[in-house]
Amino acid sequence: MLKIDPKYIEKALTANVLEELYPLLQKAIELEHSTIPPYLTAMFSLKPGTNLVQRQIIHSIVIEEMLHMTIAANILNALGGTPDINNSQFVPEYPGPLPMGIGNGLIVGLEKYSQGVVKNVFMEIEEPENAIVFKSLDIKKLPTFSTIGQFYQAIQQKIDELAPNDLPGHKDYQVTSAFFPAQELFPIYTKQHAIDAINIIIEQGEGTSTSPLDQQDELAHYYRFEELYKGKRLLKDPSAPKGYSFSGPDIPFTPDDVYPLFPNTKTSMLPAGSEVLNRMNQFNASYYSLLSGLHDTFNGQPTWLDNTIGVMYDLKLTAEKLCATPFPGKAGYTIGPSFEFTATSKC
Amino acid sequence: MSYLHAPRLVFTGDFLSDVSTVNNDPAHYNNTTFKPNFQEPGKGTNNGWWNPEGGAVFDFQNCSVTQIFLPDGTTQSDPANDIIIGQAIQGAEGRPTGKMVDLDPDAQTYSALWCVQLRICNGNGDLLFKGNVATTSFRDIQMRQLDGGKSNGQPLGATWTSVITDVVWGDLAEKSTFLKTLRATTQNNTLTINMNPFGYYYAHNDGRFSLGRIMGSIGPYFEGEPTTFAATRRLYGINYTPNIPGTYFGVSNFLVEQDNRRVSVDFGASFPVSDSIGTIHYKQDLRLAVSKVPQTGVATAQTPVSYIAPNDLIEIGALNYQSDPGWLNKTAGIVSFSNLPDDTMTALSNSQLLLITPSTTKPGQYAIIAREAIDGLVTRADNFVQRLDDGQSVDIDYYAYQWGKPLPNTAISVTLDPPTPDTPVGPKNPISEVYGNNFPVNGLTFNGQIKTGNDGKAQMRLTGNAIDSPRVYIDGQIYSLTYQTSTVDAAFGTESVVVHLRDYFQEITDPVWDDISDIMIQYSNLYPIMSRYVVNLADPEALAEKKNILIFAFSRDINDTMHMPVTRDLSKTKRQTILNWLNNPQIAQRTILKTQAREVTSANPVEPGTELTDKQVKYREAVKAKNGSFPGFRATENLFENL
Repeated sequence: MLKIDPKYIEKALTANVLEELYPLLQKAIELEHSTIPPYLTAMFSLKPGTNLVQRQIIHSIVIEEMLHMTIAANILNALGGTPDINNSQFVPEYPGPLPMGIGNGLIVGLEKYSQGVVKNVFMEIEEPENAIVFKSLDIKKLPTFSTIGQFYQAIQQKIDELAPNDLPGHKDYQVTSAFFPAQELFPIYTKQHAIDAINIIIEQGEGTSTSPLDQQDELAHYYRFEELYKGKRLLKDPSAPKGYSFSGPDIPFTPDDVYPLFPNTKTSMLPAGSEVLNRMNQFNASYYSLLSGLHDTFNGQPTWLDNTIGVMYDLKLTAEKLCATPFPGKAGYTIGPSFEFTATSKC
Repeated sequence: MSYLHAPRLVFTGDFLSDVSTVNNDPAHYNNTTFKPNFQEPGKGTNNGWWNPEGGAVFDFQNCSVTQIFLPDGTTQSDPANDIIIGQAIQGAEGRPTGKMVDLDPDAQTYSALWCVQLRICNGNGDLLFKGNVATTSFRDIQMRQLDGGKSNGQPLGATWTSVITDVVWGDLAEKSTFLKTLRATTQNNTLTINMNPFGYYYAHNDGRFSLGRIMGSIGPYFEGEPTTFAATRRLYGINYTPNIPGTYFGVSNFLVEQDNRRVSVDFGASFPVSDSIGTIHYKQDLRLAVSKVPQTGVATAQTPVSYIAPNDLIEIGALNYQSDPGWLNKTAGIVSFSNLPDDTMTALSNSQLLLITPSTTKPGQYAIIAREAIDGLVTRADNFVQRLDDGQSVDIDYYAYQWGKPLPNTAISVTLDPPTPDTPVGPKNPISEVYGNNFPVNGLTFNGQIKTGNDGKAQMRLTGNAIDSPRVYIDGQIYSLTYQTSTVDAAFGTESVVVHLRDYFQEITDPVWDDISDIMIQYSNLYPIMSRYVVNLADPEALAEKKNILIFAFSRDINDTMHMPVTRDLSKTKRQTILNWLNNPQIAQRTILKTQAREVTSANPVEPGTELTDKQVKYREAVKAKNGSFPGFRATENLFENL
């Protein structure tokens, strides 16, 4: 996982009341969300029916980021806080840094799929913490940069310290879904639930401290991206120093089957009054609709989640059509989805 | 009810309709003759028409409230007068958009809105009100664009009338005098809405592909009234223009309110427009009047114009639209004349309204552009588009009016239209035999002789019976039931109840892939957007892999926007069989159970080549126009100038 500005860990560790964790969990929701547009953009750039492993791996990671976002919102609700999702501050500017000073200045953009993006951006985002498990963190000993894993551990530690066993939030605000296994997405009523849920986020992101697998025996995000970068499946290998090696089957990649998205396409780049502008506006309207639906889902209407799944398909279909559309005035490029919070989609 | 009652608001803007078009050709339903190029854009039966990758999305775009009309007869269009003016009208948020779908490839002129939400919010995103637009289908398709639709491809317009249910009023609604009055006037927490779409773009021109213009009005609802048309009087066009189908000013609703001494006419669905966005460069002197003598004229090539002398009418007033090309976009075409004199109101109570223009060929006389229905008689079915499974019954509601009042004790006869013939493969039908409609006649049971009660309403129970693939490769059959009273006004003709009766199909509780493969392959053929971007519906392994999301979609209620299939054309038993397969995807071969469904098909009782009725011919022409394959509409010049 990525390095993070340690002030956020410090904030967590110096919290004296649960309320002081609310803004940190809000940031966690924002962080989990912020990785989704770059991953989706790369996935939508893969031409339909091609580069299937790339699509499948990115898709599996996006689904887990959505899970993590939901878990973070559930924890915030469980502690009595209020997730805030349908506002312009929630949406990052791409290209730009991720929330919480993540990555020591790593700039994340919305680009087509390439080995370079996988290596230089996605694997950077998901890079595991190499240090051993921190049983208890001491502010004085914090390095200049810490990791997201440590950030979540700090929150975990403070929940353990400050929260009552029975958490104070509205129990009927907890979001669950038939699309996630109950052992991954479960209602957070108690302190132990919250601690378990945070472990899921950490492990799916970076694996356990001793294995690239999480507790569901799936490869952590970093290693799934590394498979794509290396073009090889990662397999158990007793002869390898860490017990695993990229000795599995090849993962074929055909660069010609990637749409040449113009990097970080913006609505403002599209000609006024054009068909492509309408389609981009439609995309961003779906994006806003999705955030709005999720906001309602996480603020007391948990069953609304089903409706947002339909919006995700609207968003995906519009995005994939955009990716196939030549960019007016930019020869050799097609149009990327801009994931902008636009004024036209307000209300 | 009427969307023409006060208080009402009018709105104008665009609509997005991303309908899919591979299914616009019945022959494309035949899996055995399907070819990949039927999924490519292009005209002609060997292509997929203009939007093969459509996803059936319907949404409001760039729509805003332009005017409000108050009970005292005043119109306001300045946002300083009421906060509702100028606010945006938008579709659903936080859930998928509404959908627009046809009933069937053999019933393409009843395009329906499903699951559309309408919201009006201010610029800060604060809600004024929102609600759900009840499912409603096209009515009153008519000629709109004088330029023949040359930039967009579709010169016709239509009307959707419906009710907005489950209305939620925002806190901000308290700050709008208009909304407070509307809320106090309307009943059952329901509103009425009328929408007139036109100027739709098949063409990739003007940056408006798959957009159209839409304008309309929202007013109060009164319990017990019809929900898919306004209980109003009707003006029918009786002008003849060479080379255009139908007439301009073909159908306009109007409301006469004796208490308010007011007549309000809605030209929003009928006013001829110069272009696809509703600009009016037209300057003709058009006036409203009441006829003192009965008018029965009909536009034909032989008698293209009916005239009336000044002594035979009472003039109400002129339409003042000429000074502003944006008149239609601001007013949505509704004109109201209030405080009318006694003689006018008395005449209006039992005489026909006219739209007239001074004649140039008969100086001193007027040419009649449109006249009210003969004797002021209007009879319409409310829930006139039906999807039925065998064994299902539905009550069709008919309403009869004379001079705008419920008409008791009126006989309505309902008859099944004659079967249309099969079309064998030939030069004009190259892909597959296409089967006819309206048979077998025993597919539907109904009593075709009904009579209105004291409230002017009549009900007809319609029951679907088991039918066995009369169209072979298209599920079920389309039945068109024409209804009429003893007086049929040739200026408008008759209307129909249209039914898609699904095939008899016994649910298979433990299906294998071959039991559902025909259905899924056809689905995949017709909706390439699904197989291209979501899941290959023709591939059982891909389906099994995505079974959770498919179970989710196939189990949604028909009134849920995520319902699969979006066309809503599968019977309950077929959908359940698909769900049964998804819950236990068995791909391996074993004895196929689909023979449980009777395989015998019903033969068409008429021979190929049997002549169609006028209405059936008109339907086919309308479908050609809809699909952009009509030989082309000519521009109309100098409309009404030389009458």
